[in-house]
Amino acid sequence: MIHPVDILLILVLLSVLFAFASSRLPVLIRILAFQGVVVSIVPFFLEHEMTAGGIIFTTATLTIRGIIIPWSFYSMIKKMGIKREVETIVSYNASVFASLLLIVAAPMLSHKFNMISFSGGTLITSTAITLVVAGMFLLMARRNAIAMVLGYIMMENGIYLIGTALSSGAQHIVEFGILLDVLAGVMIMAIMLQSIKQKYDNLDTAQLSKLKE
Amino acid sequence: MLEIIFLIPFVAALAVFFLPATAGRVLLVLTGIIHLLMTIMVWTIRPEAIFPDYFALSAAGLLSLIVISLLFFLISVYTAEYLKQSHIRQENIFTGSMLLFLSTMTMVTISDHIMVMWIAIEATTLTSAPLIFTHKTSTALEATWKYVLICSVGIAMALLGSVLITLAMDVGHVKTAVSFSALTEAAKQLDPTWLKAGFVFIFVGYGTKMGLAPMHTWLPDAHSEAPSPASALLSGVLLNCAYLGIFKTNKIMVAAGLGDFSGTILMVFGLMSILAAATFIIKQTEYKRMLAYSSIENMGIIAFGTGIGGIGAYGAILCLIHHSLIKSSLFLTSGNIHSGYHSWFIDKIGQLPARMPKTFVAFFAGFAAIAGFPPFGLFIGELLIIVGAFRAGHYTMAAIFMLSLCFIFAGLSNQVFKMSFGDVSEDITSPTPEKACLVWPQYALLLTSLALCVWMPDILYQTIMAAAAAMGGGF
Repeated sequence: MIHPVDILLILVLLSVLFAFASSRLPVLIRILAFQGVVVSIVPFFLEHEMTAGGIIFTTATLTIRGIIIPWSFYSMIKKMGIKREVETIVSYNASVFASLLLIVAAPMLSHKFNMISFSGGTLITSTAITLVVAGMFLLMARRNAIAMVLGYIMMENGIYLIGTALSSGAQHIVEFGILLDVLAGVMIMAIMLQSIKQKYDNLDTAQLSKLKE
Repeated sequence: MLEIIFLIPFVAALAVFFLPATAGRVLLVLTGIIHLLMTIMVWTIRPEAIFPDYFALSAAGLLSLIVISLLFFLISVYTAEYLKQSHIRQENIFTGSMLLFLSTMTMVTISDHIMVMWIAIEATTLTSAPLIFTHKTSTALEATWKYVLICSVGIAMALLGSVLITLAMDVGHVKTAVSFSALTEAAKQLDPTWLKAGFVFIFVGYGTKMGLAPMHTWLPDAHSEAPSPASALLSGVLLNCAYLGIFKTNKIMVAAGLGDFSGTILMVFGLMSILAAATFIIKQTEYKRMLAYSSIENMGIIAFGTGIGGIGAYGAILCLIHHSLIKSSLFLTSGNIHSGYHSWFIDKIGQLPARMPKTFVAFFAGFAAIAGFPPFGLFIGELLIIVGAFRAGHYTMAAIFMLSLCFIFAGLSNQVFKMSFGDVSEDITSPTPEKACLVWPQYALLLTSLALCVWMPDILYQTIMAAAAAMGGGF
């Protein structure tokens, strides 16, 4: 029998493939919004009884990860008039191939470290590993500044997923602090993106190479 | 009531955003004084926290707190004068961010919960980013971008590490608070595999923020592009805050009997940082970047000493305190030199004693101190680390350590002598005027460092010993 969470998580794994294949930023942002929504609602499926604090916190996570962050990036690229990212270090085909390898390797890894038992037999740990590594891959393989920030957000989503799956009885006030930090960090990165755009009229980070040694 | 100490600068920062620039400068210095007084109060009466699950005092935290507080006060005096001379647009954002930065760093020193520590350290990145971006030039933009991105990604790794430590608790069936103090007590029951994994991720994460090679690439850029008072804060205290995260995690490792594992990692990365700094200092052409690489070197020394443990850990804590005092004074002095010569390049600077005599004294004394000349504290700290390395039988590492220190000494003195006594192309007419407020904070910092070598208050000595004891420190 397939756990209902697994259906969502399989979709998340597929979305990583799409994210790596697409050169269009709006697509990438939509994929991140979807991933944000899924990782925020996973606790609803895992915990049998939700406390009031738990429900409030999950809703807050959903709003920030699923709506506020993607929406602000969406409106930003609309304002800047940037649709496509053209600057890559690793080609899209190679990226898709790498993500396929990753999706195969992640369950093996989580099996090897016996992490399956912590997540109640679901795909949570392998999805989380995939998201963290995929996020790092985007950070390194793309030169477009927005794609790099989106990679960071993907990585954060993965870490959040590991956190919800593994640590039992986490304090919501602490998790809320982490969420605020992530939100503030992403907002500061967004301000930096706008400054880069103003100064250079595009978002190729290869231009940011004046400082050496 | 412990939490008040980081709430006061926070409230002051919010006020500064709405006040005129001159009032902001006054409030900056005033907050510095209040913070210093409160820190002294915390040292004497040791108040309890309102939320003991999240905040608690520790020996290492107390040491970092007094260093932060003293440095901030002296730097705020310098900043008030500095801001009058430099034309920074949106000065409120600068002073407000300084205060927010102080608030978050104070929070790091008193946090006991693993996740709260993470929240506070990530918050220091966010509040210091506007400081680096102050000049809004293309190089400042590049430095800030690198800083925010590299440190955020690095610190995300530390979050993952913290999660893995909670996993080590679950696997070991430990039911305590997720705080450093509780975990150190229950360290033996934690699952060793996950604890090790957690340490590695936390080390990489906070090590990025601390500027350990090879994760140091953001550091020279950020330090050279930030205005000098901000660089002094970054180098003097921010790096210490990141180190505190590693220190406390290492404490859990030592208590769990995994000190060899974490110690080796600390020593190897420490040596790598020292070697990286040595290669870059020798061929450096800008003096502020040279100072930044020297910070990487000192962070390497501190990591190396912590890894050795025992007497080496005591030496590392001495180095930590003295490096903060000396390096922040040097960064402030570099701001003076820039205002006199309008250049960051070493070969554009010369005849320093004739043109800026007071600055020269601060600069040269700072150089002697940072290079580890005997009367200053870094010499004692480094000596203890070397003794500790020999005692523990790490002969090869100790040899590499000493050799690279010699290289760095040679590189530093070459550059500093060029700057001090070298010829400068333009004619020297008269000494550049030097404001008292831009010189005496540096003197105060250096004198404090010097005084601590001659006479150390007993309470300070006891606290250092208590902090080092966790690493098997002492004589």
